Amino acid sequence: MMNIVNVKKSYGQGSSRVEVLKGINLKIESGETLALVGKSGSGKSTLLSLMAGLDQVDSGEIWIQEKCVNKLSEKELTLFRAQNIGIVFQQFHLVSTLTALENVLLPLNILKNPNALDVATKLIDQVGLSHRSHHLPSELSGGESQRVAIARALSTSPAILFADEPSGNLDEETGAKVMDLLFEMVKQTKTTLILVTHDMDLAKKCSRIILLEHGSLA
Amino acid sequence: MIFKLFLVKEIKKFPLFFLLLIFTLLLGTLGLTGISVVSEQVKGKLEANARELQTSDLAVSARRDLLPGELEALNTIISPIKHQTYKIVDIYSMVRHEKTSQTRLTEIRSVEQGFPFYGEIVLKAGLFQVDGLYISNDLAEIWEVAVGDDLKIGDKVFRVKGIVTRDSSQGLRGFSLAPRIYLPLKDVETTGLLRPGSTGSYARHFMLPTFLQPDFEKLRDQLLKVLPDSAIKVTLPQESSDQSGRVIGYLTDFMSLAALIGLLLSLVGIFYLYQSNLLARLRDFCLFHLMGLDKKHIILGLILQFSIVFLIVFTLQAFLIVPGYKLIYPILSNSLGIDLSPEVNLKAVFSQLPFLYGLTLAILIPLLLGLMRTSMGLQLKAPKISMGQFRFYDFTPFIILLWAFAAFISHSIKMGSLFFGALLIVFVLSTFLIKLIQWLLKKYVANRGLLSPSIEAGVAIRNIIHSGHKLTLSFLSLTLSATLISLILQLDSLIQKEFTLDESKPSLFIFDIQEDQMQELQNFASQKGVKLEGVTPMIRARLDKVNGKSFARVDEPSNLRTREDEVDARMKNRGINLTYRKDLSPAETLVEGKPFPDEAPQNNRPAFVSMEKRYAQRLGLKIGDHVTFDIQGVEVEGLIRNFREVKWTSFYPNFFVNVEPGFIDEAPKTYLAVLPQGKKEIKRYFQREAVGKFPNISFVDVEELIQKLTSLFDKARKAIGVISWLSLAIGLVILYGLSHDQVYRRYYDLALMKTLGFSPGALRKHLLIEFGFLFLLALGVGFFLGWLMAIIIGREVFKLGWSINWSMILYPGLLLSVLCLVTILFSSWNAVKAKPRELLSDS
Ligand SMILES: Nc1ncnc2c1ncn2[C@@H]1O[C@H](COP(=O)(O)OP(=O)(O)OP(=O)(O)O)[C@@H](O)[C@H]1O
Ligand SMILES: [Mg+2]
Repeated sequence: MMNIVNVKKSYGQGSSRVEVLKGINLKIESGETLALVGKSGSGKSTLLSLMAGLDQVDSGEIWIQEKCVNKLSEKELTLFRAQNIGIVFQQFHLVSTLTALENVLLPLNILKNPNALDVATKLIDQVGLSHRSHHLPSELSGGESQRVAIARALSTSPAILFADEPSGNLDEETGAKVMDLLFEMVKQTKTTLILVTHDMDLAKKCSRIILLEHGSLA
Repeated sequence: MIFKLFLVKEIKKFPLFFLLLIFTLLLGTLGLTGISVVSEQVKGKLEANARELQTSDLAVSARRDLLPGELEALNTIISPIKHQTYKIVDIYSMVRHEKTSQTRLTEIRSVEQGFPFYGEIVLKAGLFQVDGLYISNDLAEIWEVAVGDDLKIGDKVFRVKGIVTRDSSQGLRGFSLAPRIYLPLKDVETTGLLRPGSTGSYARHFMLPTFLQPDFEKLRDQLLKVLPDSAIKVTLPQESSDQSGRVIGYLTDFMSLAALIGLLLSLVGIFYLYQSNLLARLRDFCLFHLMGLDKKHIILGLILQFSIVFLIVFTLQAFLIVPGYKLIYPILSNSLGIDLSPEVNLKAVFSQLPFLYGLTLAILIPLLLGLMRTSMGLQLKAPKISMGQFRFYDFTPFIILLWAFAAFISHSIKMGSLFFGALLIVFVLSTFLIKLIQWLLKKYVANRGLLSPSIEAGVAIRNIIHSGHKLTLSFLSLTLSATLISLILQLDSLIQKEFTLDESKPSLFIFDIQEDQMQELQNFASQKGVKLEGVTPMIRARLDKVNGKSFARVDEPSNLRTREDEVDARMKNRGINLTYRKDLSPAETLVEGKPFPDEAPQNNRPAFVSMEKRYAQRLGLKIGDHVTFDIQGVEVEGLIRNFREVKWTSFYPNFFVNVEPGFIDEAPKTYLAVLPQGKKEIKRYFQREAVGKFPNISFVDVEELIQKLTSLFDKARKAIGVISWLSLAIGLVILYGLSHDQVYRRYYDLALMKTLGFSPGALRKHLLIEFGFLFLLALGVGFFLGWLMAIIIGREVFKLGWSINWSMILYPGLLLSVLCLVTILFSSWNAVKAKPRELLSDS
């Protein structure tokens, strides 16, 4: 369902040029859960941003469900991303002026989903935050925020869910709870998961672990 | 150490912040400093020429000639002192140009040998001597009068001997209403113009070569003691210059207040600049703190830093003001009618410095206190840096200073407080409005789902609901500048409307009609096919006692503190003109008390008196007070029965004090009358004929007067207009900064919305809806409040009715809206470039 062919990415120019990804090849099957591990600065977030269509590759191709993502126009990409990709960030990144429920509603509303409210309410319920659904992000704890973020990422039933160190900003206990929730929901919905993490215990919960080192996959 | 840290390292690290800070502060203070420089130049010029302006060391003057007894008293004091003296009589009178048979009102200054002791009268050709008729250049130009032409003044014809091109005894020519003519006093005495009751001023001037300044003050006190009549003034040169500078003083007071709004807006900007900057520097401060620098020193360092910035701003200002002034001083000289010096006195730039410094520093107090309240130790551990909150009462020093400053620059506690109050109202109203809108949106729109009415609007509405005081203040600053602009435009159109010639205004205002001429003049008018209206007697009097206590003369020393003190002193010292009339004129309304009774007065009660309300208030009089008038030596008892408001711009004869008929009718008097609006030729013909027959009667062409007044208002309006557009420019800069800041703060939100499927167009649209809605609303509210204030001022000051000038709302409103929207677009255009990739970075 996802195929990455010889993807290269570098930052900077001239002498300060850093080759971060030196030709990545990777195939991911539908329903797989994949952990991407590697040292800090090895390029995990970079690779994730390319796969999720948040950034442009220098060369190579990224295919998701028979579509070459890096050949899409900005407008097509925006729509494709909204329909097929969900992202959970380390910093939660909730829209600060929208309530928890509205944050989950937002992607559904952008896609003009007719059942938006039902879907969102159900998801909020699933992540156990019905009693918090009308609160603003500033009134939520870290764990609660991340649960909203997970609900939001899954609201459009994306084919792939990307998560970049989703428990990185949470304490151990909360982090573990939130991750259990994430895995459970991914399993229920049979979503493909690509998880960047430092935590080997967490990585082991995935069906496959890949290591990024010196710009290529080991 | 601190010095190096705050003055070198920090400034290097945040160059943009310091540049913006300097720019904003410079823009905000430039208006105030510019105004104070110009007014100081004018005042300086008048002061430097004070003796030339008065032409003598000391003058004793009144609206009447001194009585023999008074003259004797004066002489006993003056004659032992070495002195020279002459008499000047200024009267207003009609002059007829024999060649063209045109007539017009002029100021006739009759002088004696020796005039002027100080200063000079420069002629186009030849030397000024007290031996004939000299006319001012203005008159020569209006009428094309040449040397050798004949002018008829009173009963006599004089030949023009010279044309005056420069007259050091005239203050601001730009503000005088009648051109001046010089004549020898002995000739004027033969014209028959110096009749009792005619409008004029009689002054005896002295040159005392052996005297020093303190002696003059003493001499004045001595003279005031022997000349107890409060209608007599003893003036020293300083006061003459103050008097000429008064108009410019009022004008600069108002302009300074308008400029204060500009400063206020820039202070709002500075507050935000500092707030974001302090937040950005907080981590550094925490590190300094960790390394052993305590909070007090950090704050001290910040104050030091700010002081340096302030000094830079003022140095820059001096560099801008000097060439700026050199550029405009010829225009200023011309429009004020005074030869200003091309050299700038920079004292004015620095006179407001302490206040400005204090005010700017005061707006930073809440932020510095917030910093004091920050627990710096905790910050380095916390995931997100946050600063201690400031409290509302932290603004108290700023608010008090602002109030004081408003009073200081307007030279009036009342004006300053009114201004401050108006600001407060705008502030409270806009805060209330924005809260109301947030509440309404929350209550009625927020529960309808994000898609109502569209996804962009839905998100924008939520942004509005949840945005904090930043938004309120940017809303407020826009409202303030819109209010100011609208106020000036509306007031302007009200005044313009008032000062246009229409049916309701007379075409000629006639005064100095002698008692025995009234009937004759009326007959003459009807012979010529016109009818005089508003015939009103005028009686010279003095207010002697109030409730039995004598109404003491207030000295008019040069160190009066406020404009109100000045006005009070002048009011109390001035003789007053009375009339008697039973009913109100069309321009009057009774506002308090009862009208005069219908039955004939019984002789054992005092006469009822009707007073103009504001005049009475200035003198501290109430309804029911007993007043005693001295009418040319006869005491008349009065009882204040009612207060009137008068619409002075009607140009009909109106009086501050009106006495019930039957008490003072026999007193010596002159008459006033008007000729109603009609054909221009009739007016000219009537005036020409009437002047020929009654040379002592004065005619004011109302149309000309209105033109003159309008041109005066025009100058004031232009000056204030410049200031208010400057304020708007500042407002827009602030607006730009604030919307830019908002967009920057929401960088992650915007990047996020992009990842969630918002297209760049949709992003722009939602920003435009959010800012556009608020800012257009602010404009609307500002325009409304400005209009409202214009109506109130128009009512209180000019007694005008309400009206609305839509074109003065529509066009500037449109212009401002476009400016605003462009500013918003400009500041948020780049927002859509927010990179979603950065959402994945750690901090
Ligand atoms: N916008 C950028 N410009 C220049 N260099 C960048 C940029 N983004 C990332 N880099 C560099 O690319 C390399 C990979 O960064 P990336 O964020 O992908 O690492 P990471 O594996 O996610 O690290 P971490 O585990 O710390 O999150 C780093 O050396 C980083 O400095
Ligand atoms: Mg990373």
